[in-house]
Amino acid sequence: MRLARIGVILSLLVLAATATVAQPQERGVTDTEIVIGSSQPLSGPAAFWGQGVGGGMDAYLKVINDQGGINGRKIRLILRDDGYLPPRAVANVRELVERERVFAIVSLIGSANTFAVRDYVIENQLLWITPTADANMWAGFKDKKYLFVAYPGYVDEGRILTVYGARQMGAKSVAVFYQNDLYGQKGLVGVKRGVAEARIKLATAVSYEVTDRDVSAHALKLRQSGADTVILYALPTAGALIVREMAKIGYTPKLLSSFTLADPIMFQLAGEAWNGVTLTAFFPVPGTDAKVDAMLETLIKTNPQLRASPFNALAGVAFLEPFVEALRRTGPNVTKDGVVRAFESLRNWDGEVIRGVTFGANRRQGINRIYIVRSEGGQYKKLTDWIEYPVGF
Amino acid sequence: MVQDMALLVQYVVVGLAVGSLYALVALGIVLLYRTSRILNFAHGDLATFGTFIAFALLTAWRWPFAAASLGSLLTTAVVGAAFFFLVIRPAKESTLLGKIVITLGLALVLQGATVILWGTGTKILPFPLSDIKVYRLGQVVVSQISVGSFAVGLALMGALYVLVQHTRVGLAMRAVSQDTVAAQVLGIPVKQIFALTWGLASALGAAAGILLAPATLLDPYMMLDPFLKGFAAAVLGGIDSMPGAAVGGLLLGVLEALFGGYVSVKFKTTLAFLIIIAVLVVRPEGLLGREYKRRV
Repeated sequence: MRLARIGVILSLLVLAATATVAQPQERGVTDTEIVIGSSQPLSGPAAFWGQGVGGGMDAYLKVINDQGGINGRKIRLILRDDGYLPPRAVANVRELVERERVFAIVSLIGSANTFAVRDYVIENQLLWITPTADANMWAGFKDKKYLFVAYPGYVDEGRILTVYGARQMGAKSVAVFYQNDLYGQKGLVGVKRGVAEARIKLATAVSYEVTDRDVSAHALKLRQSGADTVILYALPTAGALIVREMAKIGYTPKLLSSFTLADPIMFQLAGEAWNGVTLTAFFPVPGTDAKVDAMLETLIKTNPQLRASPFNALAGVAFLEPFVEALRRTGPNVTKDGVVRAFESLRNWDGEVIRGVTFGANRRQGINRIYIVRSEGGQYKKLTDWIEYPVGF
Repeated sequence: MVQDMALLVQYVVVGLAVGSLYALVALGIVLLYRTSRILNFAHGDLATFGTFIAFALLTAWRWPFAAASLGSLLTTAVVGAAFFFLVIRPAKESTLLGKIVITLGLALVLQGATVILWGTGTKILPFPLSDIKVYRLGQVVVSQISVGSFAVGLALMGALYVLVQHTRVGLAMRAVSQDTVAAQVLGIPVKQIFALTWGLASALGAAAGILLAPATLLDPYMMLDPFLKGFAAAVLGGIDSMPGAAVGGLLLGVLEALFGGYVSVKFKTTLAFLIIIAVLVVRPEGLLGREYKRRV
């Protein structure tokens, strides 16, 4: 009995010793690689976002790794599919953290999904780079030391979009078609603020569920409101469907949309009806910037399938770029706190895709500006210069 | 007043258009249920698979629309019948619930196959009718595609009715559904009738998928919602009754549109499930079903 106890203690000691020997570095970091993870909707109703963003991140890292990685380490991305379902996102992130032991979580599409994993990630003090979710949710949220967000908030965006519609396009009465979850609801809050600021009317707000495929009654409801402008906070499929349904019943208001629908796939999904839609952009859209176009070409060369979703693929790059730069600045000795310091040193930093990224000791909101574009014949035309909004966190 | 009336009619028109497709989905579910008592949870995925077959024939093979649709219906029918022969029949010793669980497995397999073959991206099924071209009757607007799919939906329901009620095959199907053993004793090839029912139900699903695709866009998950609605329609009309499925589908479409229009668009999706509960509590056999009365 006593011998057994000594045996157990001895083996525990040996285990502890090997554990410390095997882990001289941060978790997820070895001499040859840095492991990062992400959960994306690779299937399900938002698959178009997940496939584009996930594919873009993967292709971008392939290019970086082929060039020798960063300070001698390759970056390995573990991508998990959550089907746009918050519970699956939670399970994925737990698996990435507890089993795969990733160094950082990058992106994670969906405001509802991000909200679902938020406490877990923050409590575990994980590096989290640009959750692809309403950035306004972080304002006032504590313990953000390891969080870095270079993504707009839908409240800011909705406000700016609405005010632009009112002042530049003569919108007098707007209706909102929004997803009945955190994404759409935050967009709606933004539109309401814009409506108040521009002193116009909010005619109606019509929501849909993620699983809805029949939006004919929604279209009638929008038409019935008599709004001259409709603002979209929707999935690509739902956005395309509502635009088609409105056309079907002969209702053709001015259309405004979040940049979440900026991918040119919308011209295919919604057809003719997608011409003349006014959207926002948080990085230069393809066709308006040489560096962005060059990056897109590189991505497509690496993975030809990304040709089908150029904007989303580039967004994937935009989510990673500040992280890659921070790793570069960190140098060969990669620690979590070292990366945090490197992030905090970014001042108005331009990547190939994302521009003007600034973080600081008390600043975790990396970008605070968007601009307005309009869709024309399968392309997006730039309408304004950058429009800034206040830094919230 | 006139405007209110026009709006009401518009909601009904919109509801009928989508309801006819719910009815087609419901008919596929009911057809199989009547004959085999199996609730086929793979119905939606069979339909999606069939729609993707049509998509492949139209785009990669460049078949004309009618040929591609026919090709899709036949392929889906073969898949359905093959599933019966290869899986359901060998599992004949299993309980009814076991068989229903098997269909859940088929649903996963089919969805996986669809994703592997065609990816998860949203696609456009080239359709010969336009959804932008509209007809105006006063203030009521109907799109060409709604009229077309409504007409085709009704025609398919009519054809099915004739098949089941006025042909020898239909008689055999009805006989099998009433008493399998007696039908077998009378020399009806029960196995083939079951296979035919599986094939026919699957083809109906594919037809619904093809007609729905222009309205829902095409991706591997497109039938999730229509399948649930079709199921609700089947329960509403009476899960044992073919006319019930047709009526249930149309009624559900109209009710949904009116509920969305006049009560709450937010809870429109919930309505179908409330209807399932209400029907099961108040009239479990559905509007036109006779199941429970006969068996008690």
